[in-house]
Amino acid sequence: MAERPEDLNLPNAVITRIIKEALPDGVNISKEARSAISRAASVFVLYATSCANNFAMKGKRKTLNAADVLSAMEEMEFQRFLAPLKESLEVYRREQKGKKEARKDKDKKADSEEQDKSREEDNDDDDERMEEEEQNDEEEVDN
Amino acid sequence: QGPARLARLPLARVKALVKADPDVTLASQEAVFVLARATELFVETIAKDAYMYAQQGKRKTLQRKDLDNAIEAIDEFAFLE
Repeated sequence: MAERPEDLNLPNAVITRIIKEALPDGVNISKEARSAISRAASVFVLYATSCANNFAMKGKRKTLNAADVLSAMEEMEFQRFLAPLKESLEVYRREQKGKKEARKDKDKKADSEEQDKSREEDNDDDDERMEEEEQNDEEEVDN
Repeated sequence: QGPARLARLPLARVKALVKADPDVTLASQEAVFVLARATELFVETIAKDAYMYAQQGKRKTLQRKDLDNAIEAIDEFAFLE
C-alpha cells in the first residue's frame, strides 16, 4: 500500500506549536518558514531512520530499537539530544510498565481463577500498539 | 521543561515515515517514540537557530530565508541541503 505524500508530513498544528514554544513571545513565523521546517522535520525522520537502521543491521537485528536511534543521533552530531532523549525514554518505559501492571491487575480481578503469569501479552485493546511492533520491556539502552 | 513521557507528534505518523524506508523491516514502539521526541528537539533547535538570523535582520517574524541561512551555516543541518 503506497503512502500518499500528505501521509508523510507531520501535522502542521503540532509543528507550529513546537516552534512557537521554542521562540520568545511575540515572535511570528511565516507560512513558508513553517512549511520548510515541517519538511525538514520529515527529512530528519527519514535520515535518522536510515542511520539507525545501519546500527540495527550491524547488530544483526531486524528490528530497529531505541538504542539504534540514540546511536543515530550521535552519528548525526546531535549529541546534545542524547541526555534529554534518554530521560524521556526512562519516563516512557516506566509509564509503559505501569500500564502493563495495571492491565495485569485488571485481568486478575476480572477472572475468578488464578492467572497464568507467563502467558503472552494480548494487546488487542491497546490503542498505542502498532502492527509488527516488538515488546521491549527488557530492552537496555546503551550508555 | 522536564522529560516528556509523551511525544507531541503522533507516533503513527512518525511510524509511517519509518516504514517508508524499504530497508527497514521492523521498528519497536520505543524506537518510534525516541524518534518522535528527537524530531521535536530538532524542530526546536532549527527554529531557534533560524531565529538568530531574523534577529540579525531586526525582524520579529521568522522567514524562509532565515531557515535557508541556518541550514547553510550549520554543519548538523548539512543533510537538509
